[in-house]
Amino acid sequence: MSNRKEFSNSRRKALKTIGLGAGSAAVGASLPLWARYAEAQSSAPIKVGFQAHKTGIGAAYGRWYERTTNAAAKVINDAGGINGRPLEIVLEDDGTDPKRGAEVVEKFATQHECDVAYGTLFSHVVIGSAPRAGELKLPYFVVSEGHHVASGMLNRYTLQPGITDVKSQVAAMAPFVSDNLGKKVTMIFPDFAFGHDHRDFFSAAIEAQGGEVVAKIAIPPTESSFTKYFPKIPRDTEVIYHVMVGPAVLTFVKELGEFFGPSRPEIFGFIDSLEAVDINSPGLEFLDGTYFWEGNPRYAQDNQSEFDKAYRAAVGVDNNGASVSDPTDVSTYAHMFGCWETLHVIKAGMEASGYSGAGDRAKLIEAVEAMSDLPHSHAHPQGAKLFNGKTHQVFGHQYITRVTDGKLKLAHTTSIEDTLYPDEVDYTTQAF
Amino acid sequence: MRWDFRYCLYIVGLVTSALLSMSGAALAHAADQAFTLLLPTGVYTAVGVICVVATVVLVTVLPERWMTGFTATCLHRLPRVRGFSTVTSCLSAGLVLMLFVLGQIGPRDPLANLAPLFVWTLFWTVFVVATGIFGSLWHWLNPWSGPCRLIRALLDEPPRLKPANGLGCWPAALLFAAFAGFLLADPAPADPARLSGLMLTYWLVTLLGTVLFGPVWLRRCEFLYVTLFHFARLSPIRWTRAGLRLGWPGWQIAGSRRLPLSLAVVPLLVLAAGSFDGVNETFWWLDKIGINPLMFPGRSAVVVPTVLGLAGAIAILLTAFGLSLWIGLRLAGDSLSFADALALFAPTVLPIAFGYHIAHYLPGFLVEIQYTVAALSDPLSRGADILGLGEFFVTTGFFYNQTTVRVIWLTQGGAVVVGHVLAILLSHIVAIRVFERPGQAVISQIPISVFMVFYTLFGLWLLAAPRGG
Repeated sequence: MSNRKEFSNSRRKALKTIGLGAGSAAVGASLPLWARYAEAQSSAPIKVGFQAHKTGIGAAYGRWYERTTNAAAKVINDAGGINGRPLEIVLEDDGTDPKRGAEVVEKFATQHECDVAYGTLFSHVVIGSAPRAGELKLPYFVVSEGHHVASGMLNRYTLQPGITDVKSQVAAMAPFVSDNLGKKVTMIFPDFAFGHDHRDFFSAAIEAQGGEVVAKIAIPPTESSFTKYFPKIPRDTEVIYHVMVGPAVLTFVKELGEFFGPSRPEIFGFIDSLEAVDINSPGLEFLDGTYFWEGNPRYAQDNQSEFDKAYRAAVGVDNNGASVSDPTDVSTYAHMFGCWETLHVIKAGMEASGYSGAGDRAKLIEAVEAMSDLPHSHAHPQGAKLFNGKTHQVFGHQYITRVTDGKLKLAHTTSIEDTLYPDEVDYTTQAF
Repeated sequence: MRWDFRYCLYIVGLVTSALLSMSGAALAHAADQAFTLLLPTGVYTAVGVICVVATVVLVTVLPERWMTGFTATCLHRLPRVRGFSTVTSCLSAGLVLMLFVLGQIGPRDPLANLAPLFVWTLFWTVFVVATGIFGSLWHWLNPWSGPCRLIRALLDEPPRLKPANGLGCWPAALLFAAFAGFLLADPAPADPARLSGLMLTYWLVTLLGTVLFGPVWLRRCEFLYVTLFHFARLSPIRWTRAGLRLGWPGWQIAGSRRLPLSLAVVPLLVLAAGSFDGVNETFWWLDKIGINPLMFPGRSAVVVPTVLGLAGAIAILLTAFGLSLWIGLRLAGDSLSFADALALFAPTVLPIAFGYHIAHYLPGFLVEIQYTVAALSDPLSRGADILGLGEFFVTTGFFYNQTTVRVIWLTQGGAVVVGHVLAILLSHIVAIRVFERPGQAVISQIPISVFMVFYTLFGLWLLAAPRGG
């Protein structure tokens, strides 16, 4: 017991920043397998319940979330695991279904005896599952980018330390749009919560920059042709901000191109529209010269870091963001880094708290809440981050790329400060 | 050169190939559904419908004797190996038990566990199609007849119980509807533990029924038996004790005796379930039940509408088909009873159900067969590589590429169109057989032909419609 305590304490000291954790991981990788786990009293695996969208509407993301998760788990295990114990991923399919999501969380806690739950993307599944995680006192690490964590609607057991939320992403776009593309913006968005978030967050942010949203064009979710909406775009529009999703997104781009022809305003969009779609697909020529938000640039950039290089290699993604085994299989590169980084935060949190079992779950959450600077490293290949322990939300750099010569080339990297907004909750005041 | 049914098929084949060859000239566009929405599916649909209308016209104007190609040739006698089907059936039963164990102790991921992959991909997708092509494989591979024979040999006495005659095959028909309900409406039909538990329960209950009642249980109460019985009749091949018989696809349906009504309506149930299995994903349906297709709330949120929708689809199809048939009978002025007509003509829709089956499951198959190969190489998800695949990544890149999306869509559309063409031919041949005068046969087919043309339009619309959920 004392051995483990000393080990944990020394790790805690060493992990003032998580980048050092990655360093120790690299050392561990050179040890033979038996030696890597030898220092732990228990070699029983740390079980991370992976709530995966294997089926349902999130399956396209789920496949890449799983691939990234497996790659991160392998890297962590090759480097000695967590607190000297191997990391085991226990996958359950949630069907991208909130009700099943809650059942899966319960299975993790009661049936599989997982130490934590992790991995969910779709907002409604997070919102459906988080209350159950709270009741079961199971730390629930989501990779959702929804604002529901930082908004205060969830609970102390739910954290989002590996991916930024949509409010900060959208707000951080406003300075670039206003300074470089124009101040009069027309927003085209799907008419439901996802689109409304963009509408509300960006409207406020662009006004703070001295710009204005001259039109807000809400498209019904069941729409599959858009030509009748384009005449509503005001003539004095300088920038179109679009964030269409769903099967009709390519039709939207094509019809927008046909509507404007060669003379178009500046166009800015969220890559969510074209995540996993080859930017060179026929019909997308119109997007040449337009700008996109990317959580993580799909194409390897001129200033590519060694961390991104290693991360791509581990997940099996080439320099165009596609699978190394099939160049037509484009990854969900803008989002899936969140899985890699979240697993590394779980590792760092467990090491910092000396986590040894379910009884230490509260200590684990406190350890993660105590984190702040997460430096750009092998553990955080997307870039440096700042974790807010009160709101359980991480903040980080956002990337704006421009479609140039058939690739998404980096045009701007926001500062972390651009993404910050006032706290809306303090989860640390909630009892465990 | 003698004109007969083969030349009719040749003409239909030419028109269908014209449809398929349009893939080369089609406008370039294509991502999963997103790329499909950019295809000129309106043109494809029009060509498909024209194919079906042309078939209707051909079978109406061509002389009756040209429809005589639906006969079989006995190729050669097959050597009989005593006990062969008992062995294969017992092996199949062993597979059921093995899948049950894998479902219980194997990976929880439905795309890594062989139990759901076997049931939904290798059986419900591949085996059903293989049955439609190669005939009654279920005779050898059903997991009951072999074990039942062994048990009966041990008991050394014949089955004592007899099923009530009035029941017919209705238990199997109802069980098929329940199976379709599970497939479409259950929140997690691929959950390895639940699915394998249900599979074993069904296997045990059916085995018990077969031991107690004899093989008649399989013919009356086993829904896979009756479903695969119909699909096997679509095959050019018929395996009989006398030998292997070969004819044009559907010859067994064209020349069939009148089936019991409870057995004859099963193709309509299969078609209704297959049709609704596409409708329930469309924006149109989701909008009707008040669901945002871009934020689908999960299958557990739509269980009731899905069950009601399935029931509604069965009711609508039975009504529409029955009404077409009834009007046809009235127009023809024949003394054939409606029940007899339904029993004779309902099996002719089977090719459409087969076409829908191929169209509906093709995209899923292309992905799930990769997961199946990976799972066969590592059945317990413990890092094994039995098949020596090395690093193996499942890809869905073909859903995001204009060429492959077009090929996939046209294959689906081609299956739907060919299914309708064959159904029209079969229906017409059955009409020639059962009506006394050729004129009656032609007139009786007018409403059914209109129904088929609209069903083609519906099927191709379904393939082209935006989907969520």
